[in-house]
Amino acid sequence: MITVQQIAKTFGGKEGTVVALEPFSLEIAEGELVSIIGPSGCGKSTLLRIIAGLEEPTSGNIALGTADLKRPVGFVFQDAVLLPWKTVAENIRFPLDTSGVPRSQSDEKVRELIKLIGLEGFENALPRQLSGGMKQRAAIARALADDPPILLMDEPFSAVDLLTRETLNDELSRIWQQTGKTILLVTHSVDEAAYLGTKVMVMSPRPGRLKKTIEVDLPLPRDEHTRRSAEYLDLVSELRNMMREMTA
Amino acid sequence: MNGRLRASLEYAAALLLLAFAWWYASGPMAMPHYLLPSPQSVVATLWDLLQDGQLLPHVAFTVKNIVLGLVIGAVLGVALAYLLFKISGLAEVLEGPLVVLQTAPKIALAPLIIIWFGLGLTAKIVLIVSLVFFPVFAGALAGLRAIDSRLHDLADLLHLSPLQRLVNIDLPASLPGIFVGVKIGAIQALVGAILAEWMSGAQGLGYMMTFATATYKTPMLFGAVLLTALIGMAMHAVLNETEARFLSWNTPDEP
Repeated sequence: MITVQQIAKTFGGKEGTVVALEPFSLEIAEGELVSIIGPSGCGKSTLLRIIAGLEEPTSGNIALGTADLKRPVGFVFQDAVLLPWKTVAENIRFPLDTSGVPRSQSDEKVRELIKLIGLEGFENALPRQLSGGMKQRAAIARALADDPPILLMDEPFSAVDLLTRETLNDELSRIWQQTGKTILLVTHSVDEAAYLGTKVMVMSPRPGRLKKTIEVDLPLPRDEHTRRSAEYLDLVSELRNMMREMTA
Repeated sequence: MNGRLRASLEYAAALLLLAFAWWYASGPMAMPHYLLPSPQSVVATLWDLLQDGQLLPHVAFTVKNIVLGLVIGAVLGVALAYLLFKISGLAEVLEGPLVVLQTAPKIALAPLIIIWFGLGLTAKIVLIVSLVFFPVFAGALAGLRAIDSRLHDLADLLHLSPLQRLVNIDLPASLPGIFVGVKIGAIQALVGAILAEWMSGAQGLGYMMTFATATYKTPMLFGAVLLTALIGMAMHAVLNETEARFLSWNTPDEP
């Protein structure tokens, strides 16, 4: 689904250049949910932006196995980035409106998404009236609106409190299983990475590259039992040790 | 709502106080009538002018010029700001000349504008437009440059067309900045309209003022000033109402 070949990124500035990503490759199969973790500044967000087409790689290739879709990816930003002058429903409808989907169809789709994401009753609220967690729900619904096969998420839950975060993790896991999307999740939380991923990709400190890919064998669906299971806790401590070694 | 009610009460109280002071100075204090006509005589003069059909054409003329100049100036201001925002490099080229034009005292240029554009309507509109243009331009450019870069990312991700970007992202996001400019521009438009009528023509509240001065009709002069102030207050109210309606998303958090 996503093939990244020998990708590298260098940022040039007045004070010299910074190598953000060293050449590396990775592959993500259809329907997987891959978590990417790494120390701050390792270029994991840059990688995501390159895959999304928001930035050009300095060298290397990206191939998305999505035929010739105009919008192959849905993107969820760190803090929602809703249009503040539009209501929740209008924000979710925005990708549909701008690709010429008629109201009769988009109304139905927006209703479905609001139900899927659990925002019933807030259709006509403005973003400023929502909590951080609810904004992020709306942002996920918007990313899913025109049904892209790939969902890219850039630390989507880092701005919400821990309890909300766990709830949103459960919801994301459910939505992923329900929709069968290929999801790439950048996070700095090892718990989140292990809980959600079918794979966890660990990146090295700057200049970033893929250091290790860990298969996650935790059974689906993931829920409270997962969080208490020995396998999960082992995986979390393994990841945590890895991160500690890198940042030491 | 309570705050708004209170504000309008305070507003009304201030106006009443001012009217009382005026009445006191011209009545019990017995200031000479040709220096300070009484409120009653000013109202009576305005009433007479209204009755014989002279007043409304003057008011309409001034208001029409203000509105026309404000609209044209605002559209041009937003349009040039958008060009500068979109075309990289244009800002560097135009920044210098624009600063010179912006700091040039437009009011001092008014006689020149009349020489260039004649004694008619064109010169009046040009003067008002030149006064409105810069605050709106500056407000719009500041608004456009302050747009959250991730909104541009969103537009890129959705492959929005230039028109879709303008309508859905750039214009609404810079509306608060544009509004700051329009509010300043509206006051400038009023000043410009009156000034232009002082200098040429035989219509408008500005003309009424020069005519009243030349013929020592002080109550008429006061009446024209009073109406000008009322127009300014009405514009302020209309703009505030418009802002409340279109920019409610931009006000601080609700509880």
